[in-house]
Amino acid sequence: MAKPKIAFYWCASCGGCEEAIVDLAEQILPVVEAVDIVFWPCAMDFKTRDIEQMANGSIAVAFINGAVRTSEQEHMAKLMRQKSGLVVAFGSCAGLGGIPALANLTSRKKIFEASYHDCPSVFNPDGVEPKTEVVVDGHKLTLPTFYETVYKLDDVITVDYYLPGCPPTTDIIVNAINAILEGKLPPKGAVLSPDKSLCSSCKLNDTKPDQVCIGPIKRIIDIIADPEKCFLTQGLICMGPATRDGCGALCIQGNMPCTGCFGPTDSCRDQGGKMISSLGGILEGEDRDSLQKATKGLVDPSGTFYRYSMSASLLGSARKEGE
Amino acid sequence: MPETTSTIIAFVCNWCSYAGADQAGGLRLDYPVNIKLVRVMCSGRVDPQFVMDSFRKGADGVMILGCHPGDCHYRNGNIKAMKRSILLEQMLPTFGIDPKRFRLDWVAAGEAERFKEVVTEMSETIKNIGPLHLKGFVESEVA
Amino acid sequence: MTVMQKKSLLFLCKCGANISNFVDLDRIADWASKAGHIDLAESHNLLCSPDGKKFFQETLKQKKPDTVVVAACSPKMHEKTFQELAESVDVNMSYIQMANIREHCAWVTQDKNEATIKSIELINAAAKRSFEAEPLKKMTMAVNTDMVVIGGGIAGIEAALSAAKADRKVYLVEKEISLGGAVIKTEDIAPSMECSPCLLAPRLSAVRNNPNITVITNAEVNEVKGFYGNFTVKIHKKARYVEESCIGCESCFEVCPVDVKSAFHLNMGTEKAVYTLFPGSVPAAAAIHKESCLHFVDNSCNACMEACPFGSINFNQKDEDIEVTAGAIIIATGFAAGDIAGIKNLKYGAIENVYTTSEFERMVCSNGPSKGELKLKNGEKPEKIAVIHCAGSMREDGLPYCSGICCVEAAKVGMLVRKQLPDVQIVNIYQELVFPNPRDFSFYKQQCEAGTHFLKSDNISSVLLSEEKERIRITALGIDPVEVDLVVLSTGLQPSESAKKLAEILNIDLEKDGFFKADHALLHATGASLDGIYIVGCAKGPVNVSDAVVTAHAAIGDALSKLVPGREIELEIMTACIDPDKCGGCKLCITVCPYKAISNNADKHISFVNEVICRGCGTCVAQCPSGAAKAKHFTDNQIYAEIGGLIYA
Repeated sequence: MAKPKIAFYWCASCGGCEEAIVDLAEQILPVVEAVDIVFWPCAMDFKTRDIEQMANGSIAVAFINGAVRTSEQEHMAKLMRQKSGLVVAFGSCAGLGGIPALANLTSRKKIFEASYHDCPSVFNPDGVEPKTEVVVDGHKLTLPTFYETVYKLDDVITVDYYLPGCPPTTDIIVNAINAILEGKLPPKGAVLSPDKSLCSSCKLNDTKPDQVCIGPIKRIIDIIADPEKCFLTQGLICMGPATRDGCGALCIQGNMPCTGCFGPTDSCRDQGGKMISSLGGILEGEDRDSLQKATKGLVDPSGTFYRYSMSASLLGSARKEGE
Repeated sequence: MPETTSTIIAFVCNWCSYAGADQAGGLRLDYPVNIKLVRVMCSGRVDPQFVMDSFRKGADGVMILGCHPGDCHYRNGNIKAMKRSILLEQMLPTFGIDPKRFRLDWVAAGEAERFKEVVTEMSETIKNIGPLHLKGFVESEVA
Repeated sequence: MTVMQKKSLLFLCKCGANISNFVDLDRIADWASKAGHIDLAESHNLLCSPDGKKFFQETLKQKKPDTVVVAACSPKMHEKTFQELAESVDVNMSYIQMANIREHCAWVTQDKNEATIKSIELINAAAKRSFEAEPLKKMTMAVNTDMVVIGGGIAGIEAALSAAKADRKVYLVEKEISLGGAVIKTEDIAPSMECSPCLLAPRLSAVRNNPNITVITNAEVNEVKGFYGNFTVKIHKKARYVEESCIGCESCFEVCPVDVKSAFHLNMGTEKAVYTLFPGSVPAAAAIHKESCLHFVDNSCNACMEACPFGSINFNQKDEDIEVTAGAIIIATGFAAGDIAGIKNLKYGAIENVYTTSEFERMVCSNGPSKGELKLKNGEKPEKIAVIHCAGSMREDGLPYCSGICCVEAAKVGMLVRKQLPDVQIVNIYQELVFPNPRDFSFYKQQCEAGTHFLKSDNISSVLLSEEKERIRITALGIDPVEVDLVVLSTGLQPSESAKKLAEILNIDLEKDGFFKADHALLHATGASLDGIYIVGCAKGPVNVSDAVVTAHAAIGDALSKLVPGREIELEIMTACIDPDKCGGCKLCITVCPYKAISNNADKHISFVNEVICRGCGTCVAQCPSGAAKAKHFTDNQIYAEIGGLIYA
């Protein structure tokens, strides 16, 4: 029997997800044994036409990481969808927009201004900006369109499963691959990680009292965090309560609060909105003045609460007209 | 259907503000029709997600109206609403939304006049800022 | 995949002309017929009339709709009416959604077009919301109908007697060694001047003789678990070293060699190390001051034990922890006299012959330290006495409020003095006089006529006392200086020392002034902020004896009407609940619950709502960061649908 074909592709991503596959170390060996990797541009030399020539649906599983910011990424995502039986959104960017989607807080125009003009290290005396089409010496050259908004993968194609994390941890990757190989997959659309908040597996949760009060809000650089005490009780924003379980609380073991990369649970519509609801509820202070004081240390609220889920957010996935 | 005027969604608590709005009706006090109420048991029930969802769906302004501090039917749900609003107010401008489009205020059951005043003010504020035009991106760009 | 479009049955109520004159119902009907998700029932002239209700029920039976929208008046008016009608024809109440097209549309704009458009939006939102509804279930619970009364003063005693009369078991918990509270320390109760011990004695014996009442004295409540109809109360009863077989014969008093300052006499007299508060106390048993008794100090004395004819002295008695269960808890913990130690101008404790009203009254009590004889520290009779009203009250460094009942007590001083020394001059210095009822005011007028002078100062906080040749000189703004032999400071009432701790134990609210807060100041004045807990007498704020008794009877009446043996209590339907499969046990909901209705199961790492305590505010649902908490009938999905319905009509 032929081995199932699998493919990896990256859209707007940092490469960390690819690294995560390499990080499987010796655990990757049985995987490689069991499957044929037919497309993995980051690791091996493939061309677009290689995949265009494959029969529709001939790839068993495509793992796509990265968000969708350009027309090329959208085109490739659609191509992969066409050729694959299953598409797995691999990592926070593909699932929720991830770090690239923080750019949704600004506009394409501003990004271009900063990147091609204003940035102190830029030398661009002619004020050149990338164009989707230019004619050079009579030859037409094209570049992909840079979209106004950063999308998550399922905004452009149907996604069958989601592997959360920035990047997904070795354990959940191995579990997912095994589930696929053994055909033991949950209903389509599922996130392949427990549908509970991180607190459910966090050891520090036991140190959290029933009555939690936070304030003033501090950043991790402001204090030396006590590794034995729930971060929220120390005044640090830990996204754990509003973040899906499954990572093994790795950051917390490293004495860093959760930043939310596994995204929200299924019942939660907007990770940041939910977190400010929870955090607000336990803020210290009964009047506006003291509450303002308690939140003074909160810089970059949307970057804090939507670090990985901007494309899935209610406000950050839409844009203001005319901007 | 309805002409395109601005829309303001107001989440109102059952015990004070909704009753205040009822009384405004009872007293035949006219106020802008673009104020649309969503009744919840307590302003503490209002999840910031509801406010965001309203903006997302096309509301130009969103209000939360609850009992005056100290008068909450459920002790202090209104204070919880205020605490959450503080964070929401800090967040809205980062999304390009004028924080004046969101307002938390208190209206007691007997305060029909105040209800009218508060919502009329909000309606004026929104008229001055103009429509929000926050559109879902999928429709506008990707097809 | 095709999903059957759910349909909502729309009832349009004309409300006479109240709606139909201001809203174009035909246009709504036209919209509804095209909307796709709405079936239209015939408009009715008045849906809440007997005919309308019948029409509603019949139509429901006939059409068996998925959901129902009643476009009529405010849900606060008739939501319950239509929900109950629906239940009567086997349609779950959750599927009934009202669209308030009267108060929120017809009545708030002159423009019929605008009112009609808004009505359509409201109806659309109601229909969309109704599609997300999940069935609701009425819940009831069996209850314990017994009661715990905390505080054995007049209010607690009356509460206990009333409940016991209705055959309820009552546990009457008192921190002193016997019942009686503040009233037993007074001589007469103004304005009727009824003799306090005469008033209380029959009530005390009624308590003693009532088999339904268990009196637990020298005891404090230190833990309460559970909820309305189902409390478990832990009571710590301190050892008194005298068994209940003691009849209070006082044989041991004569042989006890130790004198101790008597707290009952407000430290103005002494009692023995083995003591009762007063003869005829309930319980009758004496108690021993362990810290003074020579048996405990150096094991040098067993005199009381030897003198006791009943073998009741038991030096080995231990503290006891008693656990009782009850359906309601009545707080009758009374008050403490306003603390004036910090108010230097009054020289309280610094000048001799300056007393508070409570001390003065104790002094002239026939069972007082001097057997009621009024005299100065030097043994002489006073010639002139001053009473300072509002001592320590209405000022930020004391009690910032008016207690409302002390003026009549201040006016009483003159009467008590004249009873034994008719020629003594009495002058009452005041800034404000408060006599809240006609009897109190008549009493004041009588005292004026009987010779008490009332002098009005411009500012009672300016009163300054100083010693002047063995007399006391009083100056105050707006009056000429007065020299007297004895001063009575009329102090206000402040919350009892135990109020704060008890409020924490019971998770109920206090007012800013520290007295227990009523659930509703007007409609449920004797209810605390949690169901099943009542506040009576001075625990709820300064009241006179008559009102203390009234509140006690009122509270018991309310409790009896709600806790009926054999009848289950109806619980709040729209409570919150937490899905155990989704809850991460982060505990953040516990912090925001105003009723402590949520607990954490540490083993399972989940939190759960006690739906008996939950009142359904939904604050925990907004709080839940993983979406595991759900507010019944106010679910996220229902609200999202309503928002969408309002905007996309």
